[in-house]
Amino acid sequence: MPSKMHVTVVLLLAVAAAVPAAAQVKREFRYTVAPGASVAVYNEYGPVSVRAIAGRQVVVVATLASGKVEIDPLQAGNRLEFRTHALERISGSDGSVHYDVSVPPDANVNVRVVNGPITVENILGDLTLLDDAGTVDLRNCSGGHVRVQTISGPVTLSESSNGYIDITSVSGNVALKNVTGRKVTVNTNRGAIRYDGDVGQNAAYSLINNTGNIDFIAPASASMDVTARSVSGTVENDFPLQPKRRTGFAPQPGRAFTGTSNAGSSTVELRSFSGTIRVKKR
Amino acid sequence: MTCDEFQRVLPYIMEGGGSDAEQTHVQSCPHCSALVEDLNSIAAQARLMLPLRDPSPAVWSGIRDSLEREGLVRPAGNVVRLRPDGLRPRSWSWAAMSAVAALVLLSFALVRYRNLLGTPPAAVPVTQAQVAPAAPLPADQEVVLAVAERNPDLRATYEAGLRDVNDYINSAQQTVDQNPDDPDAHEQLMQAYQQKAMLYDMALTRATQ
Repeated sequence: MPSKMHVTVVLLLAVAAAVPAAAQVKREFRYTVAPGASVAVYNEYGPVSVRAIAGRQVVVVATLASGKVEIDPLQAGNRLEFRTHALERISGSDGSVHYDVSVPPDANVNVRVVNGPITVENILGDLTLLDDAGTVDLRNCSGGHVRVQTISGPVTLSESSNGYIDITSVSGNVALKNVTGRKVTVNTNRGAIRYDGDVGQNAAYSLINNTGNIDFIAPASASMDVTARSVSGTVENDFPLQPKRRTGFAPQPGRAFTGTSNAGSSTVELRSFSGTIRVKKR
Repeated sequence: MTCDEFQRVLPYIMEGGGSDAEQTHVQSCPHCSALVEDLNSIAAQARLMLPLRDPSPAVWSGIRDSLEREGLVRPAGNVVRLRPDGLRPRSWSWAAMSAVAALVLLSFALVRYRNLLGTPPAAVPVTQAQVAPAAPLPADQEVVLAVAERNPDLRATYEAGLRDVNDYINSAQQTVDQNPDDPDAHEQLMQAYQQKAMLYDMALTRATQ
């Protein structure tokens, strides 16, 4: 037979488990939009997940951690906006809202989060993602302009093609896998930058940081014109690069190199202040 | 008129339109014309960042302080300071932040266009270890305080971010000072300023979100 204390502990645990569940509130919003709709989510704490669904509907499911926050939805023409609104002072635990956002693939999406991960999948429109302290993860987002800014959160972008990518992070690491864009720009401070994949045709990559390392890994067949320089760090290369004619760039053994691999149809510019730059064959 | 001569009088041209010779030069020189266009665009952006109402005299005092700290103007000397110590209305923070953000953007543009001509010699690098950590600037502290007031959890993030960016600016600036003809060093400094502008921009967004 269980003791009184045992029963009390079990009851307390059951109550403790039930309280957060009871405090949570789920809200759902549905709108029908025209092609090229603009969808914005402004959240303070908590994750925002965006994915594409077939059809012309935008479905937003918001799970609120407590009654201290509410959602302000807005529709103005083809523009939708969802904003977390704090009713009183909130923190990361009681002010958290989890947004699950489904949009047509051609929607343009704008997400701003103070602290919480942002995940975006299969969107073909333009993306603007700002996250102060959370992570940003993009998959299969092609064709649009992608702008990502974080302060400390890492950024990952994979399987994307034909877009304009612009990523800035102060201390977050940035990892790109199989990203072929017309223009791919990454700028970090302490964060490491890692690129792994082919470079496509007529693309321009510019990966720049301060103290982090830069790893650029591409197949031997990559057609690229590479320039790498670390002001006070080192550079390493295992591609058989052809020297370039008539360049204003001054190569320095161990510090800077330039050259062409295959036809050189894409440009790759790698620059670090004191980090190590490695160009490696996959 | 040469590009050098033109750029020396550029601030006056931006204010007053310039003489016939200067107008002729800017129309015939794609480099200087692009420079003027970019500065006009940045000035327009900067105006958007400023509050709609007239800023208080304290704002101008704050801007002067920022300019002096950045070494862009000489100290005011015997000019009477307009801002009473310890009296800073809340709106001042954002006005000053906007002004500093505008300054950052302008510095970014000026750095970008300085010394674009000529082949770069190999740079004398300044290592991070040689550069003293940057002391927090008062404007940065304003930013951190303003962000933390609304989101206390973000204080550490912004403090660390601004410290990192200031260190980046310091080390890049020293390299530029030692290698004024190296466009890569200028580019690196530009990137550092761009990050600072981003941080201020994000802070501003947080305050108005």
